Amino acid sequence: MTLRIDLDSAVPAYRQIVDGLRILLVGGKLAPGSELPSVRRVAVDLGVHFNTVAEAYRTLAGEGWIDLRHGRGATVLRRDAPTVNAEKVTEFRQRLRALVAEMQSQGASAAKLSVELRQLAGELEV
Amino acid sequence: MKPEFLLAVVPLLLIGVLFQYMPLITRRGIYFSASVDPEFPRSEDGRRVLRSYRWQAALWTILACVLAALLVPQSPQYGVTFPVLLMVVGLVYSYWLKFREVHDRYGLRRPEVRETSLSPATEGEGIRFWVVVPPFLALAAAAFYLHAHWDQIPAQFPMHWGINGEPNRWANRDFLGVYGALLMGAVMNLLFLVFAWTLVHMSRKSIMLPVTLRMLEVLLYPLTLSFVTASLMPLVRVPLWIVPAVILAFSAGLFVWAYQKITAPVATGETPEPQNDSYWRAGMFYYNPGDPAIFVPKRVGIGYTMNFANKAAWFVLAGILLIALMPALMKGK
Repeated sequence: MTLRIDLDSAVPAYRQIVDGLRILLVGGKLAPGSELPSVRRVAVDLGVHFNTVAEAYRTLAGEGWIDLRHGRGATVLRRDAPTVNAEKVTEFRQRLRALVAEMQSQGASAAKLSVELRQLAGELEV
Repeated sequence: MKPEFLLAVVPLLLIGVLFQYMPLITRRGIYFSASVDPEFPRSEDGRRVLRSYRWQAALWTILACVLAALLVPQSPQYGVTFPVLLMVVGLVYSYWLKFREVHDRYGLRRPEVRETSLSPATEGEGIRFWVVVPPFLALAAAAFYLHAHWDQIPAQFPMHWGINGEPNRWANRDFLGVYGALLMGAVMNLLFLVFAWTLVHMSRKSIMLPVTLRMLEVLLYPLTLSFVTASLMPLVRVPLWIVPAVILAFSAGLFVWAYQKITAPVATGETPEPQNDSYWRAGMFYYNPGDPAIFVPKRVGIGYTMNFANKAAWFVLAGILLIALMPALMKGK
């Protein structure tokens, strides 16, 4: 299991790390109790500053995904799914629409995006 | 021809030969430290660049030999230093020119995609305890042997030999005189292990990591052998040529093994570390302020080099220089 980031991407490294780990956490690939590599290990491997990784870990800890203990790395927590409110759903919809529009502006057809979204929905239902 | 001149020419020729073949000691997809198509080195342009570089390297070697011929009779000590310096600077300059040519005309821009493993560390990635302990046991065994035969050690004995095989430095039968070589051996072995530990914890995973770790582990053996032999010299007569011969054989064997490893089909599947070529100054010196790694795999040669943008790397370099100059500094006191 690997975490991959693109240093040339316009998306900041911090955001890529948070998003990449969150996908693994939500999908259950990082099970509760498993240890994440140390901040130093991840920073050296990805070639980013220690603070970038530390900030990403703190964000995930703030969301309740991981437990950070000084000198003991990060441990994945068992996390009860919080109840999502209407405001969050609206925000999600807006971001998804913005992303779809961005892809369309870059030449992706509506049909292609529809297939992608269906595939994603299928993965969520499994 | 004077022996001093011959002694000066041998290292110059060795450096010359090393630089002739250096561009070939690299991973697939890298040529003169620039990112290229893996097939480029075999293309007509790739061969032409290598030929041109080799001519330049040969010219620098000849120039350095001529300079040595002029300077050595005047000053045997500095008559070697200046030609070596001139040659290394010239060769690095030639290499830099070729790096720029390959990068500008044939280079590839690889996306800087990096990854880290989220799985627990797998075996074989660290230092193997059972491999590194025997050299320390050998040093301890030699110390016990010397202690047990203390009375048989001469009051004064040779501890260093010149190139002509004649002793040129002597030691007394006291604690430092008898055990000094073993202590130095233990310190050297520990330094190797500290370096290996730093690589494991402060460098990226790459085919170069296990290769370098295995090399460091194995090099403890000839290193220990040389210190054990030196310490036992007052009691046991060992031909002087044995230690350099063993070190040379180990080094040659290790080099061949490492070269095969980094160019093996399994290694060629690995993407060379996706770094922008611009981080490599003169194609040899890594300088990336955004990278927290202290050591990064070399683009040319086998092993690791330092990230010169990292302050910690300069401390490491200062430490290495201090250790290298220690004998001279101690001698001066």
